[in-house]
Formats: sequence, structure tokens, C-alpha cells
Amino acid sequence: MSELSIGLSYGAVTLLVMFSGMPIAFALGTVAVTFMYFFMPASSLDTVTQNVYEEMASITLLSIPLFIMKGAAIGKSPAGQDLYSAIHAWLHKVPGGLGIANVFACALFAAMAGSSPATCSAIGSAGIPEMRKRGYSPGFAAGIIAAGGTLGILLPPSIVMILYAVAAEQSLGRLFLAGIGPGLLLVALFAGYAVVRARQEYKQALVIYQQGGPKSAYLIEEHFTLAQKVEMLPRVLPFVILLIGVMVALYGGLATPSETAGLGGLMALGLIAVVYGIWRPKDVAPILTSTLKESTMLMLIIGMSLLYSYVMSHLHISQGAAQWIVAMQLSKWVLLGVILLMVIVLGFFLPPVSIILMTAPIILPPLKAAGFDLIWFGVVMTIVMEMGLIHPPVGLNIFVIKNVAPDIPLKDVIWGVMPFVGLMFGAVFLLCLFPGIVTGLPNLVMGVK
Amino acid sequence: QTSALKISHQFPGGTIKEGDFRDRLVRNFAAEVEKRSKGAMKFEIYPGSSLMKTNAQFSSMRKGALDMALIPLSYAGGEVPELNIGLMPGLVVSYEQAYSWKTKPVGIELTRVLQEKGIVLISWIWQAGGVASRGKPVVEPEDAKGMKIRGGSREMDMILKDAGAAVVSLPSNEIYAAMQTGAMDAAMTSSTSFISFRLEEVAKALTTGRTGAYWFMFEPLMMSKAIFDKLPKDQRDMLMTVGAEMEKFALEAAKKDDIDVAAVYQKAGAKVVDLSDGTIKKWQDIARKTAWKDYGAKNEGCAKLLALAQQTL
Amino acid sequence: MLARSLNWINLQVLRLSMAALVLTSAVLTYSVATRYFFKTATDWQDEASVFMLVGAIFMCTAYVQSMRGHVGIEALATLLPASVNRVRATVVDIVSTLFCSFFAWKSWTLFHEAWAEGQTTSSSFAPPLWIPYSLMAVGMSLLALQLLLQSVLHVAGGDGEGDAK
Ligand code: NA
Ligand code: NA
Repeated sequence: MSELSIGLSYGAVTLLVMFSGMPIAFALGTVAVTFMYFFMPASSLDTVTQNVYEEMASITLLSIPLFIMKGAAIGKSPAGQDLYSAIHAWLHKVPGGLGIANVFACALFAAMAGSSPATCSAIGSAGIPEMRKRGYSPGFAAGIIAAGGTLGILLPPSIVMILYAVAAEQSLGRLFLAGIGPGLLLVALFAGYAVVRARQEYKQALVIYQQGGPKSAYLIEEHFTLAQKVEMLPRVLPFVILLIGVMVALYGGLATPSETAGLGGLMALGLIAVVYGIWRPKDVAPILTSTLKESTMLMLIIGMSLLYSYVMSHLHISQGAAQWIVAMQLSKWVLLGVILLMVIVLGFFLPPVSIILMTAPIILPPLKAAGFDLIWFGVVMTIVMEMGLIHPPVGLNIFVIKNVAPDIPLKDVIWGVMPFVGLMFGAVFLLCLFPGIVTGLPNLVMGVK
Repeated sequence: QTSALKISHQFPGGTIKEGDFRDRLVRNFAAEVEKRSKGAMKFEIYPGSSLMKTNAQFSSMRKGALDMALIPLSYAGGEVPELNIGLMPGLVVSYEQAYSWKTKPVGIELTRVLQEKGIVLISWIWQAGGVASRGKPVVEPEDAKGMKIRGGSREMDMILKDAGAAVVSLPSNEIYAAMQTGAMDAAMTSSTSFISFRLEEVAKALTTGRTGAYWFMFEPLMMSKAIFDKLPKDQRDMLMTVGAEMEKFALEAAKKDDIDVAAVYQKAGAKVVDLSDGTIKKWQDIARKTAWKDYGAKNEGCAKLLALAQQTL
Repeated sequence: MLARSLNWINLQVLRLSMAALVLTSAVLTYSVATRYFFKTATDWQDEASVFMLVGAIFMCTAYVQSMRGHVGIEALATLLPASVNRVRATVVDIVSTLFCSFFAWKSWTLFHEAWAEGQTTSSSFAPPLWIPYSLMAVGMSLLALQLLLQSVLHVAGGDGEGDAK
């Protein structure tokens, strides 16, 4: 069989097995091992478990459960509710105020965590229920969190950018700075959309109510006196302490990025123990159980997807596709378009980490030769890979949402994230027109390259 | 059989002319063998750990699931303790001594140990390294006292600890960020990796290996014995011949990087320092009583290799 | 009987994993503190954390499976008629069982290799690799058992009885 037909059948079989409803982790593993059996040396089967172990046994990757724990400690305790009631009291006059707050919360968490699903889980565990409690439609609430969560890999620190910087031999410092402008652009776009959509949903709710339908929580008029608002402020304090503590440890050079995950997790547990008296094993158990449930689900998918990508790499599928594109000798912007299209297609099946490792060595030299700034491209590619995190079949953030809010049907989640995918496309387009959004900040801080 | 041999490595990928010399070496090797075998042997190169994780390469080769790889030998030291000799500080102090191993008893013994574990040594590649720091340069052992340093290997960490440093362990891809924030003061690695990590942006000083070093790393091009043995004799000979020919390229490129890295750091405004023989001797003395002793005590094979290696000093 | 013992084991494993999770955060925090205040070497904390987290993740997979917590795309389930859907769900469980059994088997061989050769990691801490490998092997074996139980219950027609919901 040729590389092309193996590649196509690999993709087709994967889709088939996934849509059979088999858990994603087992589906990826089953497809990988089956193709290994038929198309790879027999001894490869002996290396399956070591490959999965080596992929997972990195403290950088394993900081994900710790970040999830930090989020769960806040989200699954009264701390989250208190935080959101305070935000609500201050922002309830702003249409979509809570949505905006969640986008900002995702951005703040993204500045501490290097991974998108971790960000999504941390903010989503409290954010989704709180938004729904106040009338937001399930799809909208899920969309905000899934999309906001993707900022995890665009805003520094970022596991994905670390790998890109190494593969592209670019400055990590420059790349991290380059992600900030586009990150803020996305924050603004998401927040703007939240306002528009919340207004729309409010109007619909009003019409339904006026026609004698049920009264949505959107329509509940609430009034807070200034005194009440001020009184609520101390409730935000534990969160602020946590945020400042972690930021100082990370950016002040006290802790490595992975240590920050552990430190943040312990601080969050400590805070809810002191402030809310949640320290007895039976009180903490629900937090830890949900952390383990989610982390296990997620890490097993990540581990198996790395096995899946090992087989794909060995069969030379993505490399073959990349080489084929490069060999077409396309003009500058067509080349970029086709490469980004390939990244989108790979995003159907693979997490960002695998996409970078497999394609970077082949696509970067021609992009450089075509005159693209590789820092700029790294940021654009990251945004395109973020889209992959929120579209099926393999979209890690979608699975996190499924776990955080199991009662929202997958269909609603997918429709909920689509507008955000559109906004990301818009952002990529803007970055092509105004590359300064990417390169401005690094050039300002580190000098023009 | 027409299926291509797969060569895996962890270094940034480039082209045959440009980029990290370890990647270029592999590409040169592949091109040369393809040419001489008139296309009977073909290769697929997987740079940047794009096939499998760095640590999975050695044992995949042993099992015959991976054909070839270029890996720092000491990475497999947890699997085969003898291989820690590939990064034994102070045991190698110059390129001339390093490359003399191949034909001396230590090299013959090392080749035998690897064969026994299912690995064939194709090309001998050595690299010198140094220390980059965000404050004062680390030259004498006393300089390391109280500094947060990443030695990067078990043996180097032992020496640094003896010198009074606070050894930090973190993945190599977190070095840049940790140096930038100050979570770590200094890191040791090869000249080539110093260039590709772009640490000059966050470092204020560099101790180079261009006039001699106590940090020499052996990172050979290796092949799975199971795969090697299946090839016809002429192809096996061709692999060994071209592998040996690549050693000249490796030596020149490594020496060039030792000089280039100094220029890169100087240009970025960092203080660049070289090592004197006296200083190397000091580090060697610490190594002798810590890392060497620890290694020699591991098993008979280690003790034998250590003794043979010391003959080349 | 098997269902009950599995549930019991899963619960104990879950408790241990919770402890491991908290302990890992404590170890990493200790690493930050000890380096900052005492400038001592922090060369074992990362690996200890990796072992504990990898262990917790693999050991909990069976528990997560017992709650049907491994997410899949269930789009077809709502479209198919009930009888066909039952066949689909059964086949999915059986194939999952086969894959996880294979993975468990290969984890045991990996564990055996590491044990027999005395393999360690290549760091200065150099802990033995049989520790995480054995956690992976036990965890995946439990998962395979859990899936087997669920498959058998599916075939026997007792829908969902294997699920500890
Ligand atoms: Na981030
Ligand atoms: Na996707």
C-alpha cells in the first residue's frame, strides 16, 4: 500500500471507530495498535507501553492534573460561588458581564498554566454552572469556556510554544511575548461576542416570557446597593491571594513552571481549608475525586494520542503530506493557506503537541524560505491548533466540557463553540493583515530581530 | 527490500547544509550511503523527537523497532549502567583524547558492551560543553557554591553538589524559562545546544569548552543490531565506512560550534570565559572522588571501563 | 461478586490516589521552599512527582471506567434503534477489553524487563523504573477486568449493571 492510501485508511478507520462511541482513549489505542500490527515491524508491538509511558512521564505534561486540582478546589467549593456572586453583583448591569468575566478568568488562568484543557477545566467547573444559573444557554456557556480555555497555549507559559521554539530554533522569550498581543485580541473578540450573544439571548428570553412562556434567569432583576457590593469584595480575596502567590512564584523566579502547578494546587487547598473550613477528608474527597476522574480521562487520551501519532509518524503519513505540499512549489500565501489547512485537518485527530513535532521539521524551512517570520508563524499556527482543541472528533477541550457538564449534549457544545472557531479564523486573518499585533511586543521588549 | 531505514534524533531538524550539525551529520550520512549503494539503501530521518520520545529510542533500537538513532549515550545509563561513561566529567578533557577511544581498549570494550545489548556503534561523535549563567560565570568549583545549577546528568550533578551548588532538575525544554525568571542560575550543556536554545538572551556569562573542557559528551550514531545483522555484508560494510567518515565532519563541526557559541554570547553582551588546564584539573579532582568512584562501584563492567578510560588520560 | 470486589478495590485505589495527588503538590511546594530558603539540591522532587502522578492516573482508569467516565462520541447512540445500539455498545466494550488486555500484558512484560535488568531512570536520583511500570501494569489490568465485567454484563443483557453509578 502506498503512503497516501495508508494515510487515508488510517484517517477513515479512526473516524469509524470514534463514531462507534468507543471511548476516545481506547479508540486511538486500538487503531494505532491495529495499524502497527499490519504495517510495522512486529517488534514495534513490544514498544507500545514504553512509548506511552515515556510520552506521559514528563513533569511538564503531568502538571495538568495539578492545575485541574487547583481549579477544582476553587470551583467545587463555596469559593467559586462566592467569587461569581461578587463578580455578578458588580457586573450584572453589563450585558454578558458574567461571560466577559469568564473569558478574563480563562486568560488569567492561562497566564499560569501551559495547557489548554487544564485552563478549560479549572474555569469551567465553576464557570459553566454559574453562567447557566443566570440564564445563559448551555451551548453558549460551554462555548465560552471551551474557547476561553484554548488561550492556555497562546498566553505564556505554553507547553506547545516551548516545543515549537525548540523545533523552529526560535527564541522562546520572543515567542511567549509574541503570543500576548493575539491572546488579548482573542480575549477582546470573545468578550465582544459574549456581549452580543447575551443581549440576543436576553431578548429571546423576554419574548418567550411575554408570550406566557417560562421566565428565564436572564430576566430576574437584581439590585445591589453599593454597601452590598463592597461587602462582597472580601470574597474575592482568597482568589486574589492565590493568583498573586502563583504569579510571584512563577514570574519572580521562585518556582519552575511545573513546580508552580504543585504550589498552586496546595495553596488552593490551603485557602479553602482556612477560609471555608474545608479540610476534613470527607469534605476534600469530592474535589480530589473529580480531579482524578477528569485527569485520568484526559491524560489517558493524551497518552494514547501520542501512541497514535507515533504510528502515524512511523508510517510517514503527516510527513508525507507535508512533503507533498512543500514539493508543489506554491506561491507564498497559497503555501501558508495550504499548510494551515493541513494543520486544521491534523487537528481533527491530534493534539497540538503531536502536530508540531511531526510537521515542524518539514514545513518550517520552506516557510522561512518564502519569507515568513517564524515567530509570527508560530503564533498563527498555535491559534489554528487551538481551533483543533474545540472541534471534533478529537477536541480535548470538548471532552473536558463533557466531563464538567455532562448534561449538555455534545451537539449543543459543538454548536456553542462554532462561533468562537469563526472568531479565531477572523483573528488569523487579522494577524495576516497586521503582523504587528504579533511582532510589536517582542520587538519593543527585545529589540527588532 | 526497499523499505527505508529510520533514523531518529532529538535535535532541531534542518537541511543538509544548514542547522544543527547533529542533524546535518545524519542527513549527510544518509545521502552518502544512498549514493554509494545506488539507491539500494534509503533512509527516513526523524529530527526533533518526531518519531518517539528521546528516552524511548535506545530500547526501541535494542528491540529492533527502531533502525538507527543519534543519542547522547548516557541517556541510556539507567538502562545499562556502563553507558554513563558517555558523560563522565573530567574523564575526557580534549577532542584528541575523546576520538582516541575508538581504537583503544576502552573503545573496543564499549563497542562490545553495546553489541551485547543489541546495539552497533556506527559513528563516534563527541562534543564539548560549558556553563551558561545568568550572573557571574562558573569557572572554578568555588564559583558554583550556592548557585542553582542544572547539571543535566547524574554524574555532573554529583560534582556540582560536592562543589556546594544547589542542583536543580528540570526538563531541558524548561531551561530557557527557568533561566529567564531566575528559578535557575546556570545550566550545563553542549555548545551546539547552547546555540539552539538561544540562552544568550537570558544569560550574562558563558564558560566555553573551546580551550579544553571537563564536560565532554559522547553521542554516537547507533544502529539496532537485529536490523544490522539482517543486511548483506556489503551494505553493513558501507554503513560502517560512511559512519567512520562522518567522524571528521563531526569533529570539525563540534569544534566550530565551541568557537561560534562564544561569538554568539559575546555579541549578546555576555561575559565569555575559557578554562585553564589548572581549573580543569580541579574539577577532575572532584569528579575522581565523587562521580568516578560512584560509577566504578556500580559493577565490574563499569570498573573495567573506567580503568581503561583512565589509560587514555 | 466480582463486581463488588472490583468496586471495593477501585475505591481503595481512589483513596490512595487522592493521597498521592496531595502529596505530589506538597513535594513540589517543598522543592520551591527548600531551594529558596536553604539553597539545597532539588533533584528528586520532579521524578517522585512523575511517579506518583503516572501511578495515580493509571491506577484510577478502572474506577473511571466503572463510572463510564472515559469520554467517547456517543452521537450514534441516539440515532440507532435500541436493539442495534445494544449490539454496538457490546462490541465497543469487547474491543476496548481486548485493547486494554493487550496493553496490560505489554505493561507486565515491560515491568519484567525493568525488574530483571535493574533499570532506573538516568537522573542523579535514579529511582527504579519497575515502580511506575508496575503501577501502569496493575492499573491497566484492573481496567481490563472492569471492561471484561462490563462486556459480560452487556452480553448477559443486564444493561449497565457493571456500572457503579
Ligand atoms: Na498559558
Ligand atoms: Na480536533
